[in-house]
Amino acid sequence: MFNVKVKSDVLKGVIDVVSPLVNEAKFNITSKGISLRAVDPAHVAMVDLQVKDKAFEEYKANEMELGIDMDKLASIMRLSGSGDIITLEYDEDTNRLIIKIGNLIRKMGLIDTAGMPDPKMPNLNLPAKVVLKASELNQGVRASEAVSDHLALTVDKDNFELYAEGDTDTVNLKLPKDLLLELNTTTKCKSLFSIDYFSNMIKPVKGEDPITIMLGNDNPIRVEFNIADNKGHVTYLLAPRIESE
Amino acid sequence: MFFSFSNPLAMYLKTRMIFINLLLFYSNKQKQLMPMVKQETYSVCALCRGTKMLCGKTRCPVVVRYHSKNKIQPLIDKNRIDGSSPPSVFIGRIGYPKVAIGPMIPPVMGDTSMIDTPEQWLDKKIEDIVDFRSMLIRGKHIVNIYDVETSDKIVEYTRELALADNSVYAEALFERKPSGRIVFYDEVQPHGPSAPLKKFDITNPKYERHIEKAYYDTDLKANEAIFQLYRDGVQVSKIQRAFSVGAFGIKKLRRFVPTRWSITAVDSTIGETLMKKTRTYPWINEYRIYYHKQFDNHWIILMIPCEWQYELIEAWYPRTTWNPYGRGISIFNSYEFYKGRTTYAEIGGCYYAARLAVNETLNKERRQAAVVVLREAHPGYIMPIGVWNVRESVRQALKQPYQKFDTLDQALIQVSKTMDIPINRWIKNSAILKNSLYQKRLEDFHEN
Repeated sequence: MFNVKVKSDVLKGVIDVVSPLVNEAKFNITSKGISLRAVDPAHVAMVDLQVKDKAFEEYKANEMELGIDMDKLASIMRLSGSGDIITLEYDEDTNRLIIKIGNLIRKMGLIDTAGMPDPKMPNLNLPAKVVLKASELNQGVRASEAVSDHLALTVDKDNFELYAEGDTDTVNLKLPKDLLLELNTTTKCKSLFSIDYFSNMIKPVKGEDPITIMLGNDNPIRVEFNIADNKGHVTYLLAPRIESE
Repeated sequence: MFFSFSNPLAMYLKTRMIFINLLLFYSNKQKQLMPMVKQETYSVCALCRGTKMLCGKTRCPVVVRYHSKNKIQPLIDKNRIDGSSPPSVFIGRIGYPKVAIGPMIPPVMGDTSMIDTPEQWLDKKIEDIVDFRSMLIRGKHIVNIYDVETSDKIVEYTRELALADNSVYAEALFERKPSGRIVFYDEVQPHGPSAPLKKFDITNPKYERHIEKAYYDTDLKANEAIFQLYRDGVQVSKIQRAFSVGAFGIKKLRRFVPTRWSITAVDSTIGETLMKKTRTYPWINEYRIYYHKQFDNHWIILMIPCEWQYELIEAWYPRTTWNPYGRGISIFNSYEFYKGRTTYAEIGGCYYAARLAVNETLNKERRQAAVVVLREAHPGYIMPIGVWNVRESVRQALKQPYQKFDTLDQALIQVSKTMDIPINRWIKNSAILKNSLYQKRLEDFHEN
């Protein structure tokens, strides 16, 4: 059974987190909330999402899986306004999700989850931790997009630094410790990442909300933040670029 | 190459020289403002006159054009042309949405279908293609692109011609004698002189039956019609010709589409539909290299076992069509990752033509891969002959047996053995090669 009421903005937030990485997603439903873990087709990035039952206006569910076409759900959600309360109900007989937006009833066919994998989260040694405001990071990433397709992130004991280099132009964003919400590292860490992926990962966080970044040397980056009024949590992993030659 | 100075070729070259000197004088005066003149190599032509090959090309484009003009001139020196249209039509783009439409008619009889079927040109030489294309006399009739169903006879016959399966006898009366020389475009096949149409008549054509069905189905969307026809085995050039006269789509949305745009529209639509399937197939098991040489273009198609990605990289040698003044080789690329792209490819129509060919092969095998198409255009590629060259050359390359490799490094070594440009330069200009070499995957970190 799955029968919930949720604010349109919460559901849209979930879509913004998941759909940049995968088109089809398997949501695991329990009586305590919903969760999802998926890897993008290129196996470069992973998303891990938890949304507690408290994030919903009403929540009644048993353990089950829902296979959802994210593009389809996104286009349905475009029919709703920002204040709307959405009702989601699983119809067992037809294997469809019934979505109610006001007086509108939209039934959506579900995807078979049988072949969809449960990716494992790799154990990573990431010694550096930085917490900063989304707006600061966003500015640096937006500037980098214009000059290159990848950027370098560096953390040492005093600074967090973002650097991108194109053929003729460069971008540098240096944030000293006192401008950050938290900075913690034992050694200097540096890794390179694709801007395309990285910008999608920080886009769901708005304004002054905090983003947590964990970094290693030529290791994946771990990006964490809360959604749904801190009742949901997102963890992204992104594999680095390593330009050895 | 031999010619005496008393012959008309020398005269032709002499008048050219005056024109060239004028141009040079003018260009010195306002160097910055001079428009880019395509594929001409002015200064050296005067010194060379078709004998010394100073421009670096293996044959002289001036001479090639002159000879083909000379063969055709006596046949078209009149107001009335009749002949067997391959069938062929041309929709201009200048003045859009009011454009010049009309038939293309060669002053010869019989089965001329080869003249407008690029699929059959791979075994021809560039000179031959220029030769038979320059026979096509283009009639021009200005219409609004939305007027596909008027009682205007010229519109009606032009459409009928575009839907025809075989060559059709056509007769055109022009306002004046067709003028101009052979015209080259980057994407469209070249054609001959043109003139405004006064009257135009054709014998009853037999329609291509699949195309006819799509034409009368006024509820069938254009993109669905295109893919259905493609799957039914109709040649891409035939689909494109019918598409350009607004023969497909929901009735009220039908319109004329300039020939240049229609070629890429059809390539892109078919490729897009095939790509959706490609993304669902299992990956290939090895690194593959296909190779083919055509019109002094060297083609390598590199397939990498991973999720669908695509890139076309073109290297133009100095003194080739799109690098006439350069001293070095210029390299351009366009690419898309798994999700596809939403903006028009920087390098234009050939991107979509090659993408169609690549997806065709992957779909046939029911396999997915990342595909990098490398093109070296050497100086023997003396003039642009149209996007079909890209589509058919890549198709041809993919018909050859491929070489297998276990690693990307081995495959790249083979690329550098086959191509002239060093592998580092290819990598530097390639988004997908860089991505494959440098972007790690999450699996790479599972042991830690």
